[in-house]
Amino acid sequence: MIGRIWAMAVNTAREAVRNKLLYTLLFFALIMMLFGTVLSALSYVDRERMVQDFAFSSIRLFSVAIAVFVGVGLIHKEVERRTVYTILSKPLSRAEFLIGKYTGLVLIIWLQVAIMALFFAGVSLLLGAPLGFAHLAALALTAVELALVVALATLFSSFTTPLLSSFFSCGLWIAGHLTRDLRDHGASSASALVREGTTWMHRILPDLESFNLSLEAAHQLPVAASDVWFPALYGAGYVAAVLAFAVMIFERRDFR
Amino acid sequence: MHSADWRKRGYLRVGLLLIAIATTGFAHSRFETRSRVELGQLQVPSADYVKLWSLGFDAAVADYFWLRAIGVVGAEQGAVEEQGEVLADLIDLVTTVDPWVSHPYRFAAVWLTRDRGMVERGNRLLERAISYHPLDWRNRYHLGFNHFYYLDEQLRAADLLEGAIGLEGAPDYLAPLVARLRSREGGLQVAAAFLVQMIESAEDEYKKAEYLKALDEIQIEERARFLDEARVEYWRRNGRDIEQVTDLLAGPNPVLQRLPRAQMHLDGFEWILDPETNQIVSSFYRIRYQLHESETDRQRKQEWREREAAAEAEGA
Amino acid sequence: MSDRAEIVRVDDLVKDVRPGFGLRVKRILEGISFRVREREIFGFIGPNGAGKTTTLKVLMGLIRATSGRASILGHDVSEISFRRQIGFLPEQPYFYDYLTGREILRFYSKLSGVRREHRERRVTELLELVGLTAAGNTRLRGYSKGMLQRIGVAQALVHDPQVVFLDEPMSGLDPVGRKEVRDIILRLRDEGKTIFMNTHILSDVEMVCDRVAIIVNGRIRYEGAIDEFLDAGEPEADLVFANLPAETAVQLEESFGARLRGHGDRIELRIAEKDSSAALRLALDAGAVVISATPHRVSLESIFLSAVNEAGAEGGAR
Repeated sequence: MIGRIWAMAVNTAREAVRNKLLYTLLFFALIMMLFGTVLSALSYVDRERMVQDFAFSSIRLFSVAIAVFVGVGLIHKEVERRTVYTILSKPLSRAEFLIGKYTGLVLIIWLQVAIMALFFAGVSLLLGAPLGFAHLAALALTAVELALVVALATLFSSFTTPLLSSFFSCGLWIAGHLTRDLRDHGASSASALVREGTTWMHRILPDLESFNLSLEAAHQLPVAASDVWFPALYGAGYVAAVLAFAVMIFERRDFR
Repeated sequence: MHSADWRKRGYLRVGLLLIAIATTGFAHSRFETRSRVELGQLQVPSADYVKLWSLGFDAAVADYFWLRAIGVVGAEQGAVEEQGEVLADLIDLVTTVDPWVSHPYRFAAVWLTRDRGMVERGNRLLERAISYHPLDWRNRYHLGFNHFYYLDEQLRAADLLEGAIGLEGAPDYLAPLVARLRSREGGLQVAAAFLVQMIESAEDEYKKAEYLKALDEIQIEERARFLDEARVEYWRRNGRDIEQVTDLLAGPNPVLQRLPRAQMHLDGFEWILDPETNQIVSSFYRIRYQLHESETDRQRKQEWREREAAAEAEGA
Repeated sequence: MSDRAEIVRVDDLVKDVRPGFGLRVKRILEGISFRVREREIFGFIGPNGAGKTTTLKVLMGLIRATSGRASILGHDVSEISFRRQIGFLPEQPYFYDYLTGREILRFYSKLSGVRREHRERRVTELLELVGLTAAGNTRLRGYSKGMLQRIGVAQALVHDPQVVFLDEPMSGLDPVGRKEVRDIILRLRDEGKTIFMNTHILSDVEMVCDRVAIIVNGRIRYEGAIDEFLDAGEPEADLVFANLPAETAVQLEESFGARLRGHGDRIELRIAEKDSSAALRLALDAGAVVISATPHRVSLESIFLSAVNEAGAEGGAR
């Protein structure tokens, strides 16, 4: 089973590597980092930190973009182009197929993050900006967030068109960043409906703010191990649940 | 088709292209080129709203609004205080989204002096700074300065400065400063000490000049007090008061060899006896300095009163 | 023949689909049943939209039947692991075009569980078999339609399956390509494989298939060995003569019931096969020259057309 999933994953990664879109996005991410350097020159304090902030944001922005825009076509494209016919006629379950595709995309996105992180580290060293554990922790949780975003995109991709999938995925990504604050605002509401509604939204939707260590990274604040492990565990569980859901939908599909 | 037709068509296309470019350029040249700050139209979104929608890009979003804040100050030097609201909103926004920033708090405190309300907003920002950076003496110092210098609250200032004593990088003179504030004595030295530190840390030339002006006034006052002492000596030696300040230099046994400058930087000013109060004053200031009653203070307080009245009238 | 093992078994297969979002249900397979036996080349034929591809997709586990049973090699089609023993070539196959021919075969062989040590050899063999050795390191993006069809055949065979399912294997190929695919199919049969083939190209069926089923409008109309089909009725022969005297022609018509057609100075006549020797002798004696003498077979086409017409008539009556 692992062998077949791995074969799917490697092939998906190879598709991404041979796809020009990724290089374009990577290129733009690097351009954004340079733009951040220019922008930070407008400030007379904390320039190095601002370069890092903008660079880190570019890493996140472009990785999320890749995760969504490649993720939404991940399954749909296979069905649309009927490549799925020959693959599923092999001794490969639909679950293995879907998990393999997912794994491949996550690996390639992580690789991209790693490349951009190296660039980030290079720029930081060049400017003499500090690099520390908080950066590593923030990157690690960004990686978890990306794995979750890809899982959501894969879920939508398993039953609807890329266009709708991107709306849903982007929407959920945004909502996932709002739920925590919404719950906090909702808690002070006089209406029980709003209170309960915002609480449940926070419980059910992905709590993506839990992966946000951008301020910790920016200011090299101390990060407790539990601030990394629990979000990572939460992310892993959420990914597993979303993929299970995606598999359930995908297994019921007819490829007509 | 004939080649002539092709050529005609080519000319047509080039013509259309030129027209399109010209139209675009014309329209673009009519755009408003002044910035929103200059137009006084800068709308600062609510801090809570931006924090909600920062989508995990908190640090970069805070940086962006910090750059806007710098833009407000940089746009038109003299009008910075007029833009107080915008600046206060921007810094509030920056420090709500990223409360771990350090410099913007003091930046706000330095510029938010237009009126009492602004100083109080600046102080609230500094209080937030202290809660996030409890070990940074500078925020406590700025807050103490604001309370002492603008709000005339010496004891509150003393309490704040006391908290800064012994923190890393805190200057040694904080402890005596606190003692003097507590005793309500030596206001002049306290003010001078405060100002010297503020001048040292000021990054902005405009703000620095303002502090220097205040410091000048204190130094002139110190000289005036020295001349008061000389006047007493004159009385003791000659059994009568001076009729003019230059009397201090006159006679076979003059009290002073020469008079200090009556203005720190400008020539053409002298020490005179104020006909009303009979006090020695500089012809530049024409009045003796009193802590919180200085020329700078009076001007500021006058402005504050006018603005408050205007605001009230507007509110009514 | 019927003592051979049943490789594919389909019983009362029904498939309903909802074409839109509404409740309207369309039945595209109306309870079909058939068997494919070991070492057979089974032709599944029918007009476009008859349900051929749907049936094949049910067998490949790509769609689920509404009711009925389908099994391959004794395994229900919803199982996974028996697929190691089957190969599938879909209609107009599309593959990852960013891979080279060699890479795609390697990928499929991994999915099919071909052991690592055999993989490269197997891939090379198949490229050779389908005549793509030279194009093995070219990306599929640069392949022609015919080359894609061949790589499709290769991927269906890469794991050396026992049963091969082909959906329109000859469509989109030039005559040379068709002959090559036909040869591969016959060779597979000789190797002991069982082949299930969807097609509407009847001449191919006549040339390679052992047994056929004709499906029209979601129902099986005929199922049987291809010889049984064609041997139904009295065998006839076609004789073509030149210089056949008119009186001899009349004589042939009268005594043997021959049907005559004239093409210039040539005369073609159709006659019962048992009378052909006597007719030939008579004509030769009369000084005619024999151009050709061929046994006439009932064409699959006529059977096919009559099946479609029958279904059409039923459909009209319904």
